[in-house]
Amino acid sequence: MSDNDRKSANLTRRGALLAGAAVTGALVIGFWMPRRAQAPLATPEGAVWADEEPETSEVNAWVVVDFDDTVTVRIAQTELGQGVWTSNAMMVAEELQCDWSKVRPQYASANRDAREMAPEWTLKVPGNGATDPSGGGEPQFGTRDRTGLAGIPDSLYRRMRTNAAASVKDGRYYLQLAGAEARERLLLAAAKTWGVPVEEVSSANSVIAHGSTGRTTTYGKVASLAAQTPHPNPEGIRIKPPSEWTLMGTEQKNLDVPSKVTGKAVYGIDVHMPGMKWAAVKSCPVYGGKVKSYDFEKIRSEPGVISAIQFPIPEPKLIRGRIFGGGVAVIADSWYQAKTAIEKMPIEWDIPPEYASLTTADLRAKLMASLDETGRVGVNVGDCDTAFRSGARIVEATYSVPYLPRARMEPGNATVLVTDDRVDIWLGDQSPQETRRSCAEITGIPEANVYLHMCHLGGGYGRNGNGPQAEQAIYIANLNRGTPIHLLWTREEDFINTTYRSIGVAKLRAALDRDGWPIAIEVRTATDSEAPGQNAGFDIAARYHAPNYRFSMHSAKFHIPVGTRRGVGAPAQHFYRESFMDELAHAAGKDPYQYRRELISRTDLPYKADMIKALDMAAEMSGWGTPLPEGTARAIALEERGGEEGHHATISAQVHTVSVSKDGKVRVERVDVAHDEGFGLVNPLSVKKQIEGQITWFYNDAIYQECNVKDGRIVENNFDAFPLSRMSENPPEINIRFFKSGHWLDGMGHDRGPAIQSAIADCVFQITKKRYRDLPLRNHDLTWT
Amino acid sequence: MAMDLTVNGVRHSVDVAPETPLLWVIRDTLKMTGTKFSCGIAQCGACTVHINGVAMRSCSVPVSAAAGKDVTTIEGLSPDGTHPVQLAWMELDVPQCGYCQSGMIMSVVAMLERHSNPTDADIDAEVTNACRCSTYHRIRQAIRVAAAKVSAGGGTL
Repeated sequence: MSDNDRKSANLTRRGALLAGAAVTGALVIGFWMPRRAQAPLATPEGAVWADEEPETSEVNAWVVVDFDDTVTVRIAQTELGQGVWTSNAMMVAEELQCDWSKVRPQYASANRDAREMAPEWTLKVPGNGATDPSGGGEPQFGTRDRTGLAGIPDSLYRRMRTNAAASVKDGRYYLQLAGAEARERLLLAAAKTWGVPVEEVSSANSVIAHGSTGRTTTYGKVASLAAQTPHPNPEGIRIKPPSEWTLMGTEQKNLDVPSKVTGKAVYGIDVHMPGMKWAAVKSCPVYGGKVKSYDFEKIRSEPGVISAIQFPIPEPKLIRGRIFGGGVAVIADSWYQAKTAIEKMPIEWDIPPEYASLTTADLRAKLMASLDETGRVGVNVGDCDTAFRSGARIVEATYSVPYLPRARMEPGNATVLVTDDRVDIWLGDQSPQETRRSCAEITGIPEANVYLHMCHLGGGYGRNGNGPQAEQAIYIANLNRGTPIHLLWTREEDFINTTYRSIGVAKLRAALDRDGWPIAIEVRTATDSEAPGQNAGFDIAARYHAPNYRFSMHSAKFHIPVGTRRGVGAPAQHFYRESFMDELAHAAGKDPYQYRRELISRTDLPYKADMIKALDMAAEMSGWGTPLPEGTARAIALEERGGEEGHHATISAQVHTVSVSKDGKVRVERVDVAHDEGFGLVNPLSVKKQIEGQITWFYNDAIYQECNVKDGRIVENNFDAFPLSRMSENPPEINIRFFKSGHWLDGMGHDRGPAIQSAIADCVFQITKKRYRDLPLRNHDLTWT
Repeated sequence: MAMDLTVNGVRHSVDVAPETPLLWVIRDTLKMTGTKFSCGIAQCGACTVHINGVAMRSCSVPVSAAAGKDVTTIEGLSPDGTHPVQLAWMELDVPQCGYCQSGMIMSVVAMLERHSNPTDADIDAEVTNACRCSTYHRIRQAIRVAAAKVSAGGGTL
């Protein structure tokens, strides 16, 4: 350290202390100014959440630079395996031009988010939408909304939800802006210290240099001064286009991996607080049901047992209208004591009689019947009725898929401490702004006094705000004010207290001309009326051209709560669509790759060149058309998301090489993936991992997983009846290749593998001559001779 | 009932009901949270620990059965995260959500102790833990890297 540096650092720290005193409580618009808050409670070792007390070296709300150049980047999404802990940090660090090896992610404070607003200048998305490489894209949740439900809030940390594969798509512009603003203020601080114009100062790797004099300092040394240095013209800050990226676009290992190989990563289940008690829960297994009676006296003297608390059906308005069951919790010194005791406690349920005898067959029959009703027409091009009368050949197929939960590995849990003026909650959560509201609504304590300490999630797969883990825990803790309560579900309770991907059926019909090309395609799908994503894969226009095309959505309302699950509507509807294309190609006697290629080329879809490129590349990678041994087959499928004119899209094609043994054992031998990278991927390593994982995730959907309904309740509720695939079934070879396209991507985290469903089903058909149209395939005889 | 339990070389006297699963003694009594609870019925393997060097699903082992034996958890695998399997896991960037990985790593370490140069069949037969994120593709590669590290003298299991 030079004398100059030492002097400026000392001055800076003293200046910061003085200035810090002066600005306490002030809300300065124009840059992200640190703000004082209550001191936090004791936190467990390894905690990854922010102190509520901003540090003097907080350059803006997203960036803290310590004296040793350690850069803390605030992460407003939740790490649940998708790599956001790293990719969000990369977007900030790219602009900050800091030393990546010294970047430390930390969860952003949902409490500060309740009290502080984002600066006005950060609210406008730079550039011209999804096809402008220099801009911020076109955020999916683009409209501003305080709750974060319908849009991106204009509160301090913007959209804190983690869903819709939108973390990069929606957050990139304001995270890049945050990094750029911090960098410019660090440069301003250095320039001020040296008394030189800021234009003469530059930075790289956390080192700031003055060109003509050769003086250098570091981010850490000027951070406290930068924290007090407003940017004179924040509206003029630009974000880097992909052509200027140096960190984004490179393969970076996830920053949380070291903590996940040593057992140190903190998940919600790991939270221990002094004086904490545990709650085990039994909820009514039939949704909409509640407790009629329970007999606590029978278990009062069991070891460790403290009390039992009945809770009502969680308030639907706090959980997006979903109706779960009421239940009862037993509080004990340890969770195992609570769980053992509640299993011994007699509980009688008050079950709605109209649901009490329902079965899967009843629900599926209602959906099938709905297909013959008018439905909601999504697309209607040409005149299908007339075209069907003139077709040389009619092909018709009916498909179905089951109810599916996410079945994350970490069972639902939350730790809550309610005192008379404050709520603290520790949990893994995909929607903290909603949970913050639940805390306030249930306890009557304002959101500004709710402190949400985010933990990593042991898997998410779409569970944003989709279950009452927090609401049950808050309710119970509110009746035990002063005592931290850690509520934890058993695996079986996790299956009860979750929303499901809706059961679904679809009827697809096509009229083919004499050469086997479709002149009309009609698609009818049916799900629970509240299922999200009902228009996936069939909306806007036919992906595979037919001059006459009609798509209608049908539904019935059931009592099983439905919600978003990885891929939302796409996995089921891609299974229907791609299976049907295989059937049409077979009926036409044409190669299914070339058949798809030709039909896409006949469309005027805006991204059809990317779709064709994906098909061509995947086919070439797989050795499409080369001979395979007996009992082995290949199938190809397109995966696409988004793709409206001028909007985001993610386009890929996969070829699966699948064998079926004569005794009916399916093995995916290899998968070849050709994948759109848009203008650029933030972290290509993370994207590869997402693709690899999702291939097997959807393999499970194809082969194993289903939840049935009997007596109004979900039958399969643990990993014995609801199997997860293991090492032995994973494809030994997965090849992934990327291609550039002219749009920003529409996300990567959730629908990058549904192709495996139609592919396995079609390979089974090619090998066994048996066509199965309902999943999972384990329900069928796959043997052949 | 008090009993002696040795975890990661440290002897503890724990006062719990003898039928309490080892998992909950490790997590709640000893406050070592690297070992995870997921299914509670010995299906998924998130709770895998070693008992006298054998990989066991601790959610289904009563603590009384582990008393007097050597229990090793993820926290005891290495003092600083440099066990060859941990290094290989970092090299391949294996974990996604990471929740199953403590148990997965413990299963792999036990498998490598029996098969220093495992075949695919060895891996398939002995690493039967579930990973919901389906990180299996990288797990298999990381097992190869770990085995190579050990055989090259880069560490001991």
